[in-house]
Amino acid sequence: MSITLTNASYSYPDGSLAVESVTLEIRAGERVAIVGQNGAGKTTTAKMLNGLLKPSTGTVEVDGIPTQSSTTATIAQIVGYVFQNPDDQLFGSSVRDELEFLPRRNKWDAATMAERVTRAAELAGITEHLDSNPNDLPFAVRKFVAIGAILVNQCRYVILDEPTAGLDSQGLILLNRLIDVLEAEGVAVVTITHDMRFVAESFSRVVVMAHRQIVADGRAAEVFSDDVVLRTARIKRPEVAQLSRDLNISDRALTIEDVVALLA
Amino acid sequence: MVLVSLQNVSFTYEYADLPALTNVSLELESGLVYGVVGLNSSGKSTLCSLIRGLIPAFHQGELSGTVTVLGKDLAEWEPADLSRSIGYVFQNPFTQISGIRDTVFEEIALGLENLGVERDEMIERVLEVVEQLGIESIIAKNPNDLSGGQRQKVAFAAIIAMDADFIVIDEPTSQLDPDASDAVFGIIRTLKEQGKSIILVEHKMDLLAEFADRLIVMHEGTVVLEGDVRTVLLSGVLDQVGVPRPEVTELARRLDAIGRPLDTMPITRAEAHEALSRQLMEESYVDHAH
Amino acid sequence: MVWSVNRLQSVEAEAPPHTLSDRANRLIDYDFVDSFRRPATQNNWVRDFNPITLLLVLLSISIIAVAVPNLVAPLLACASYVVIAFLARVGKQFVLTYAKLFVVVGLLLFVLRALFIPGKHTLFALGTLKISAEGVTDGLRFALMIMALCGAVALYFALVPMKLLMGALEDRGVSPHATYVILASFQAIVDLSKNTTVVMEAQKSRGIETEGSILNRALAFLPVLTPVLLSSMSSTEERAMALDARAFNASGEHTHLVSLRKVPGSEIAVGCAALLAVLVSIVGRMLSWF
Repeated sequence: MSITLTNASYSYPDGSLAVESVTLEIRAGERVAIVGQNGAGKTTTAKMLNGLLKPSTGTVEVDGIPTQSSTTATIAQIVGYVFQNPDDQLFGSSVRDELEFLPRRNKWDAATMAERVTRAAELAGITEHLDSNPNDLPFAVRKFVAIGAILVNQCRYVILDEPTAGLDSQGLILLNRLIDVLEAEGVAVVTITHDMRFVAESFSRVVVMAHRQIVADGRAAEVFSDDVVLRTARIKRPEVAQLSRDLNISDRALTIEDVVALLA
Repeated sequence: MVLVSLQNVSFTYEYADLPALTNVSLELESGLVYGVVGLNSSGKSTLCSLIRGLIPAFHQGELSGTVTVLGKDLAEWEPADLSRSIGYVFQNPFTQISGIRDTVFEEIALGLENLGVERDEMIERVLEVVEQLGIESIIAKNPNDLSGGQRQKVAFAAIIAMDADFIVIDEPTSQLDPDASDAVFGIIRTLKEQGKSIILVEHKMDLLAEFADRLIVMHEGTVVLEGDVRTVLLSGVLDQVGVPRPEVTELARRLDAIGRPLDTMPITRAEAHEALSRQLMEESYVDHAH
Repeated sequence: MVWSVNRLQSVEAEAPPHTLSDRANRLIDYDFVDSFRRPATQNNWVRDFNPITLLLVLLSISIIAVAVPNLVAPLLACASYVVIAFLARVGKQFVLTYAKLFVVVGLLLFVLRALFIPGKHTLFALGTLKISAEGVTDGLRFALMIMALCGAVALYFALVPMKLLMGALEDRGVSPHATYVILASFQAIVDLSKNTTVVMEAQKSRGIETEGSILNRALAFLPVLTPVLLSSMSSTEERAMALDARAFNASGEHTHLVSLRKVPGSEIAVGCAALLAVLVSIVGRMLSWF
């Protein structure tokens, strides 16, 4: 069970290339962070994962089925994509309506729907807001409502686009807890992010993109210790990782806990 | 000189059940960079809106207490004069672009037009801020076609061109990538060097530690602490209100907790580098001595 | 008189020396910047007419087309638009647009009128519908009149950038608030279509089927429309505050970066001639001269 991109490229309608010959496999239960400068091709690649964009050349298969042969909405049952701006997605007059929209449309039975909605709300930490109007809720809470709406589908793969933007420390804790639970249930979590500390603390596998290609794909510790990759992709290490490197403590330490363990 | 003074200020938005600000008293000095921190919904944006006079002009509600800005009671300020004296940069890059100007150059000039600045001076001032923000290459572009980071730079340029001495900046980097964030903080550093007074709402503690002089910590509509940036960052109050510290400070606290404290508590990476390297040298000295 | 004396331009023999760094000087397009020191020009004698003059002229032509009976007047009007368009060097685009309008609007109106207006001389019959000579003539005139009106509007938008019209109106005392609303509405329409694409992608990605059968697309309408409209509405308040931050509501006179040239005597003459022609045609119509 995986999403596989094989030499997939994507060109815009005007002919310019957005992503060049990318080969990537996302397996169920993995935690993968895709990083890189704006314009490197991260979002385009992610949009190929859920079939929003079909590859111009090469193939993209979700659990063995090419994305070209299905509509995005069909693939969305298996691969959930949460956009950076929740307001692009929300339209219900209550959070509950928002979460129940798709189940009602697809005529699920009431018991299943109730159970899934309750579960999704609990995971996203929005149970107390179920009867509120999303427009009355703060931005960060709306982000979780958007996540909740995706969780109702119980997708096997979930893509989060810049999930930490606009979150405070509490939101971050909630987000990490959510990702832990999803991993435990065998759901793959893919994130596009600029937040290197989030990557270092929560993701074991990092895919680095630069100039429309993948320039690195491996364990976070390895990727962040590679100066050439970081320079090509123009991304920085987390603060503590850079500190550890500068002081020759270790070039593999990424988080506070790593450094503390080494100095203990 | 006192920039802003709040005395027992409370405010509840018109349709809200709970107050957004409760009994806030603050005195802010000019020429400093104040960072405002706190969880979402702690009242940070409300405080900024109030200082700039957006409350009560744009946001209706119940306001009590006294607010004095630049020596004058808020109620006595002409709304239009406020925009002359206090710059405001908002969080959302997309709604700050007026949408009624075809080029970045004209967009930046809009504020100066509204202030009645003569054309020649207008052009000079726009060129100055264009250079300051490094946006020379996009002056002829349509602002509606720019990326979020570029738009935020243009918004900054437009406000700086109006040359207010006091600028309120509300989470300018929350939707921006690291490069654009660094650029924005570079702008803030320059403003600080020019002696401007700045109130900055931010979640990025690492950057605040570098640029802020003082911090205001908010929690559930009240100010729980206001002080020098170092004092506040090392205070235990932050734990109670869920505000994180810079990553290097957290590292130092963890080291303290396991019995290996550094000789000083760093708040920036440079300080952490020095403190840690001193400790490591000491240890190797101690090791060698054995 | 409709035209007042335009704000006099300060004539710049040469631009003042720039005091920016070498790097900035290299990157800045000074031709672009210096163009603001002179009145706006589109490098064409027709398009450089004052927007209000052009408005008057085109309006006059369309009124004459309606006032003067029979087919010659509207035909000439439509032809004149094409001539003006070519003189203004926007001939090709205009002809294309105008041709489309003729087919979609003109032809349809002609057919509807021709089919349903009764007359004495039946040309031929389609079942119970009789097409008469009067019907054809009537239909032709009606369609041509409408095309004369449409043509004026289409040509105007091809000749005059909205911002220059707004500038001309503001020169004559129209409130900047009013011109803002007009310009922002145009921009909002452009933004709406961009926004719709993003929202559709978001809805597709959560499983709402927007592709496929008409039924599917219809069902997807509400979930797509609501966020699009909501976001454009909620951003209105933010935009109002952002504009306030640019001193939009400031008292005192606004200056303008972009200026229009002083209206020359020849233009005034053209405008008078147009008004006269309208007067003649209306009076002539009432007195049955034609």
